Formats: sequence, structure tokens, C-alpha cells
Amino acid sequence: MLDHASNKPIYIQIAEWLENEVLSGRVEAGEKIYSQYQLADRFNINPATAAKGLKLLAEEEIVHKRRGLGMFVEEKAVNIIREKRKNKTLKRMLREIVKEANYLDVSMDELSEMLRRIHEEEGEEE
Amino acid sequence: MTVIDVRGLTKQYGGLHALNAINFSIEENKIIGLIGRNGAGKSTLLKCLAGYYHPTDGQVRVLGEDPFDSLFVSENLIFVDDEMSFSSEITLADILQTAARFYPNWNQTLAQRLFDYFSFRPNQLHSELSKGKISTFNMIIGLCARTKITIFDEPTTGMDYSVRKDFYRALLKDYIKHPRTIILSSHLLNELETVLETILLIDEGRFVIQESVDQLKEKSYGLTGSEESLSHLPGDVQILHEEELSGNQVYQVILGDLTEETKRKLEKEDVQFSPVSIDDVCLYLTKAKRGGIDHVFE
Repeated sequence: MLDHASNKPIYIQIAEWLENEVLSGRVEAGEKIYSQYQLADRFNINPATAAKGLKLLAEEEIVHKRRGLGMFVEEKAVNIIREKRKNKTLKRMLREIVKEANYLDVSMDELSEMLRRIHEEEGEEE
Repeated sequence: MTVIDVRGLTKQYGGLHALNAINFSIEENKIIGLIGRNGAGKSTLLKCLAGYYHPTDGQVRVLGEDPFDSLFVSENLIFVDDEMSFSSEITLADILQTAARFYPNWNQTLAQRLFDYFSFRPNQLHSELSKGKISTFNMIIGLCARTKITIFDEPTTGMDYSVRKDFYRALLKDYIKHPRTIILSSHLLNELETVLETILLIDEGRFVIQESVDQLKEKSYGLTGSEESLSHLPGDVQILHEEELSGNQVYQVILGDLTEETKRKLEKEDVQFSPVSIDDVCLYLTKAKRGGIDHVFE
């Protein structure tokens, strides 16, 4: 679940994992999200690292803190995560793809066609 | 709250500086890794904290007191290593009983459960145990004492991989329930780095760096590119290691804050980024400047 060899710090991986929990609906808006101690136990990491992941989400207003009660998922959390991922993660991945396509002299039309086909395949699996 | 404060700590034996003017402090309830190569002075430092050694110079404060000859510190701090000596007259079960009487927060239930889990027999003697078993038994004592400060000096000596994993897990689970200051020394980081909050790196008796594991990880990069493109790195970046590769390429390990803009600029110049393990960063931070093993064979 966590990639310890990755360049990505563990707390960012934790933040992303939590975002996925929200995106998939396993934790819904208004619900309490995992505590730093639950995350520490689950991923076998220092609670301070887990807290940093939660803090990141709080800064992005994906969760908010209720004194003495814990962190709760914001109403707009899913939208915020989607927008952020679209603008950052997805764009970065696409940039990689375009770079590779240029290396291989794959035209934009060819690339779109490949993308469309893969999109269809993925759709069938679901 | 600061629980350990060390100023100018120097320890000499026979004219040799085992520790040389070390300064650092440790806040309560953190898990710290004391990292350094063999002979760096880790054990000497920890023994000064535990009050076993009297510093040649400088000051050590543990829970506000000089640990040397302090009953208060010995009640609130446990030092665990593979040389802990126990009477060979009494059984393992008796040792646990004795520890229970000495340490005010001792947890006998946990001790008994770990004792059974690791298949110790109550009538065994400490002197009959194998190396790995000694470490495992001592670890049980260290965990169950639940002292304000717990020091493990190379706790996993002789433990096999599965026991080491169990140990880190047990340590973390008990820490989550009962936060306290825990210092672990090791020459190898990779297995325990996620359990740690901070690392304290020493080399040849000197302080090198004290930093959170996350921050160290975020600040270290492996870069591969042409010499020309790598020369555009910001000035405040520390180059820890440099290697020439074939085809005029250079591999560098650097420590520093790179902005997204700098990263993008480097990427445009075909500089490749690769992850660097914290173990490697520590190695490069403490590497003898005289050249590596290759040098010996030249």
C-alpha cells in the first residue's frame, strides 16, 4: 500500500490514500476520517507522520478539525480532490504520455485513438 | 517539553575522543533513531544519557537531572542492549518479577503475553539463551518497563527478520497506546525508518544532523544528467555524493530544497530524478573523505 522506496514522502502517500478513501465513498462527507493513531497502526508508521498527512488534507480544506472529536470530511471534499487531481496528477501523467509519444513519433491522432480504445476496455471491466 | 538536553558532551578514553563536543536536545514522546557507523560513538552517547558514564566534559540533562548517580533517572529510564546482565541464579520468570518491582509503570500482562508469544519458558536461565533470544528477552523488558525514556542500543542484534518485524510492530503499537520517548540506535535505518519520527546522525564522535525522517527524505534527491545541466543547481544545495557515469553523465546525491520551478527547469535539461534511501543519505553524510572501497583496489 505504501511505497517506501518512492521519492514521495510517506505522509504524502498517506494523504493520497485518504483522498482515495473519500473519492471511492468509503468515507463520506460529514463522516469522521481515520485518526493519526489508526493510520499509524494500519500502515506501521510513526503517528507524527500520519498526522502530517492529515494536516495536509486540512490545509486543502478536504477535512476539518473538530476540537476533541477528530477530523471530519468536508461537504465539498470530493470536488476539491477531483479538481486538484485533474489539474495536477492527471496533467502530469498526460505530460509524461505526450513526451513518450513524441519520442516514439506517435501522432496526436494515433494517441487519441489509443486512449479511446483503452478507455473502452476499462469501461467494460467495470 | 525537552526531556534530554546535551551541551558540549565530550567523552575521552585513553586519549581517544569517543564523543566530541556534542550538542542536541530531544522533545518528549518522540521515537528517535540514533544512527551512525560502527564506532561512531552511539553506545558511548547512550550510556552517558543513561548515567552509566560520567562525561569528560560538557553537560547532560535527563528529565532535568544529571543522570549520573541519579535514582530518579534510573527509575524513569531504561537502557537496553545485548550486554544487560542478569543473575544466572534466577529464572526468566523471576527476572520479569524483579523488573516489575523496580519499574513503577511495568506492565506484567504485556510482559507475559510477549514472553509466551516468543516461546520463552519460565524456568529458562538468561545465560542459556542464544544471541537472538537474548535480544528478544531484553526487548520485552525494555517495552514493558514503560519508562518515560526508553533506550534501545542496537536492539535487533541476532534477531531474525520475522522477530525484527515483530519488534518494530510491538514497539509502535505500545507507543501509540502509551506515548513516551524512545531512542533506538542502529547502523541500519531502512527497516525502522517509518517507525521513527526523527533521526540523530553522529560520526566519529561528532554530531552530524538531527532532522525529521520526512524532511530528510523530502530534501534528498538523486540526479543524473550532464555536468553542464547539473551546474545550474541552486547555490544552497549540498552535494553529498558525485559519481561519473559513462557518456559524460554524472550522478549526484544532493540535499536541499528544490522548488517546483527548479525541478521543472532541471527536467527540461534532461536531468533525471531518482529516489535515494535515507540509509544512503546517512552513508554519504558520514563517508570518509578518503575515497571508497574502490580506492583500496586501485
